[in-house]
Amino acid sequence: MGRRFVISRGVAWLMLACVAASACAGTRPHYGGTLRIETQGDPWQMPDGIARRLVLDTLTTVGDAGGARPALAVRWESQNADHRWEFWIRPGVHFQDGEALTADAVAAALTDTCSHTGAACPWSAVHAVGPSVVFTSDSPAPDLPELLAQTQFGIGRQDASGAVVGTGPFRVTGFANGALTLVANDDCWAGRPFADAVEVRTRRTIRDQWLDLSVGKTDIVEVPPELLRQAQQQHLNVLVSRPVDLLALTISPSGAFVSREMRQAAALAVDRTALYNVIFQKQGEVTASLLPQGLSGYSFLFLSDRDLDRARALRGGANASLTMLGADDTGATMQLAAARLALNLHEAGFNVQVTQAGSRQPPTLALRRVHLEAASPRPALDEMLARFGQNGTVNGTDAAALWQAERGVLDNEAIVPLLWLPRAWAAGERVRDLRLSVDGEPLLADASLEGAK
Amino acid sequence: VTLRQKMLLMLALTVMGVVAAVGWTGSVRVGHVFEDMDRQQTDLLVGQFQHEFNQRASETAAAVDRMAASDTLRRIAFDLSNGGDSAPYLTVAVPLAEEYRLDYLELIGHDGSIVSSLQWTARFGYKEPAVTAAGKPAFLKQEDLPDGTSQVGLFAVRTVTGSDPPLYVVGGRQLDAGFLRDFSVPAGTQIFIYKNVSGPFDAHNFAGPLQGPDSGEHYEALVDDARSNARNAEGVVYPTSRSEDSMSVTAIPLKGLEGDVLAVLVVANSRRSMVEVQRHIRDIAYGIAGLGIIFAVLASLWIAARISRPIEELARAAGRVAEGDWETRVDIRTMDEVGALARSFNNMTRQLAEQRERLVQTERVAAWRELARRLAHELKNPLTPLQITVENMVRARKLPKKQFDEVFKESTATLEAEIENLKTIVGRFSDFSKLPKPQALEMDAREAVRRVVKLYGPALEEKEIELGTSISAEPLPILGDSELLHRALSNLVLNAMDAMPEGGTLTVSAVRAREMVRISVADTGAGLTPEECERLFTPYYTTKQHGTGLGLAIVQSVIADHNGTIAVENVEGGGARFVIGLPLAESAEA
Repeated sequence: MGRRFVISRGVAWLMLACVAASACAGTRPHYGGTLRIETQGDPWQMPDGIARRLVLDTLTTVGDAGGARPALAVRWESQNADHRWEFWIRPGVHFQDGEALTADAVAAALTDTCSHTGAACPWSAVHAVGPSVVFTSDSPAPDLPELLAQTQFGIGRQDASGAVVGTGPFRVTGFANGALTLVANDDCWAGRPFADAVEVRTRRTIRDQWLDLSVGKTDIVEVPPELLRQAQQQHLNVLVSRPVDLLALTISPSGAFVSREMRQAAALAVDRTALYNVIFQKQGEVTASLLPQGLSGYSFLFLSDRDLDRARALRGGANASLTMLGADDTGATMQLAAARLALNLHEAGFNVQVTQAGSRQPPTLALRRVHLEAASPRPALDEMLARFGQNGTVNGTDAAALWQAERGVLDNEAIVPLLWLPRAWAAGERVRDLRLSVDGEPLLADASLEGAK
Repeated sequence: VTLRQKMLLMLALTVMGVVAAVGWTGSVRVGHVFEDMDRQQTDLLVGQFQHEFNQRASETAAAVDRMAASDTLRRIAFDLSNGGDSAPYLTVAVPLAEEYRLDYLELIGHDGSIVSSLQWTARFGYKEPAVTAAGKPAFLKQEDLPDGTSQVGLFAVRTVTGSDPPLYVVGGRQLDAGFLRDFSVPAGTQIFIYKNVSGPFDAHNFAGPLQGPDSGEHYEALVDDARSNARNAEGVVYPTSRSEDSMSVTAIPLKGLEGDVLAVLVVANSRRSMVEVQRHIRDIAYGIAGLGIIFAVLASLWIAARISRPIEELARAAGRVAEGDWETRVDIRTMDEVGALARSFNNMTRQLAEQRERLVQTERVAAWRELARRLAHELKNPLTPLQITVENMVRARKLPKKQFDEVFKESTATLEAEIENLKTIVGRFSDFSKLPKPQALEMDAREAVRRVVKLYGPALEEKEIELGTSISAEPLPILGDSELLHRALSNLVLNAMDAMPEGGTLTVSAVRAREMVRISVADTGAGLTPEECERLFTPYYTTKQHGTGLGLAIVQSVIADHNGTIAVENVEGGGARFVIGLPLAESAEA
């Protein structure tokens, strides 16, 4: 019994091992292949260009639960009550042209970002000290590690040919026929990506993207929030982020809206529900806050209901001079939303007309879609204030302090938050292990292709 | 202007007047006929376009009917009636409008709220009052658009078949150039739509092929009339100054459901062909009239010549009679009034010639009598002393020789003196009869006058006669014999001196009077009686006790030989003036 039992158990274990091995081999990511993705916009544009993220790394990254995680910086510490921050650069990291990443190169790249790209940098000065980079600021910057995870602070330099090189998982090899080609960086400090190359086809309409996806000409396409339900109805493999885009109406304190009462009347006149229910097809969340409810927990305190009677009362018999309303996106949905807002404001007695795309005159009313990268409440508020060009300060770390700070900004009625919208992507059948970053961008370095060798 | 020209003018004007009156009447009548035809054609076109407009309305309603019965809308209506969300249908109007070729489309929920709007997508949820017109024929409606403008469209409202609660479809077509493009428009006709009828007229509100000489401004009056009175307005529009560019225009107000005018359909029919035909007819009429006038002028010439020729002959004959041809006669060709006039003329000239002959004979007798009287008078004066002297010599024969010789000597002296006197008298008569013909040479009349004045200046001073001269500063050329003229002027000056024995003023002048040289010699003497004035130039007539009466006759003869005239007149305030007129030499006239 004992021998036969041992033999039979051994055979059984062997068979189980084979089954397990074959199962593992079927789910294990494969290296190789070209991952094809299509976008409407410029893949290199700031602050969230998809190709930029593949080429340039940042000092830190943001975890799914928020908080900074090491990337090109392995550790950091603050001094002088968060007025001075020191980040130690990861050793052994090389740019894609083979040059070693140094603290000097990091400091130079960040300085260049602040001086040339116009990014709102949350520090006063940055310089290298040995293997570390030191940031100093006039005011405390407690959230600097998470802010440095923003795409705009990617570390890169120009090689001898003038091309931008970084330390990311892919490097740019060319741009032809509307397609940007990137190949895998075998020496990437974070490990080689699964795909050998990424092809980004730009300036593709959503209709064309979806058509290409349906016929297998591309692997990943964009899904605007207003088409999310339609994509799901078509059984596309859709990945949806948390709300990361804020749709907001900004009101310049001039002309008919020079007084706070007029701006408040405008804020009360807008019908967020119609935007949410119809134009954006019930995607995202209605908001009157600069942060999504899931992040801050208090956004419901900012009332988002429409009060047309009060709006009319506030407006009174003020002069109905013509005011232009423009959208920062020429897409049909944003133009439609702008037209709806114009109608809402017209009901309140304002004479508002939507400007045509390409108008040089900055409109008094602007419908903006603002992207949020941070995943923690305070850094997120800092980021949003910076995006809107506001100078608010957050004293304290609790929700009450954040609410106070946000209310202080919104009380001026120059920013009217409308909707928080998610980002969504649809992937083809051969794409495996595709995930989205906390700000809704596809993590292409982690994705692999079915059938690749 | 001659009688023939007057008659020609009168006849020609009469004929031209008749032709013009006939032409004008015909032209007006033809114009009225063409205007009536143009009006009928325009009315026909207007009727046709109204029919086509109604046809488009029917087509629009039919398209909306088909859409309301379509599976797509019935499925949407079913979904909504079962509590379905209307949000997914936000843009469904776009493909539906494309499929049914509509410019405007809205889906309206049972509560009147817009579910989907093609023309203004953002208006979802707002009320659309047009649903009350569901089932009615197509109608005009003003549609507000997102850019702040509004357009007029032809709409129909229908309920989606089987929908409960109802789902409405409001579909329409825009009234623009594209709407009109499908109209069958005959050549020379244009149709436009004037939109946005509220507010002052603006030519930019026209939709349609406004091209060429046409300009919207010319239709302003008709469009304003149509939209303010809500009825058709008709008229002729002149886009340019050329009548062939004119248009017969009818403005038709297009009304909405409430009867308010939302647009004006303008039908413009070119009058070019009509105007050209009218012009052709007028040109033919002018040609005929011109030929008629030419014929009238020729006929008038012939008639005038036939009537006026005998009268012209009479006039010429009268002129010859006036020139002294008393034997002139005219031919008598007709027995009418002109013939009677010719006979009378011939009788008159014959009688005049006979009377003149008798007068000449009478005057000749009178002249001879006067000559005899003058000769008797002149010869009797020296004969009386001769007779007395001879008688004294006869008586003295009885005297002693010494006394006789003394008487004889005195008598012979007397006889010689008187005989010499007789010879002088005879010589004067002989000179008058032998007055020479002037040797005409170009001379300055002023020189003849100055010569006489210079000659008689001392004598005038001696007789205390003041001399006044007025001689032209310009040369007064004449063709004349200087000696004869000097003699004539001397005679006049001497006569004037004789007329002023107590002194006075002698005025001599020589001036140019048009084509004559006017020489006058005036005195301040006693002047002349009318009888003297009349007979002064008669030979042998004198007012002086010892004159021969030949001086002024010689003067008149000399002046007549120079083709001149002489006249005498009394001067106001006393005295007489002799005025000589001599023709200027041809070189001076040139």
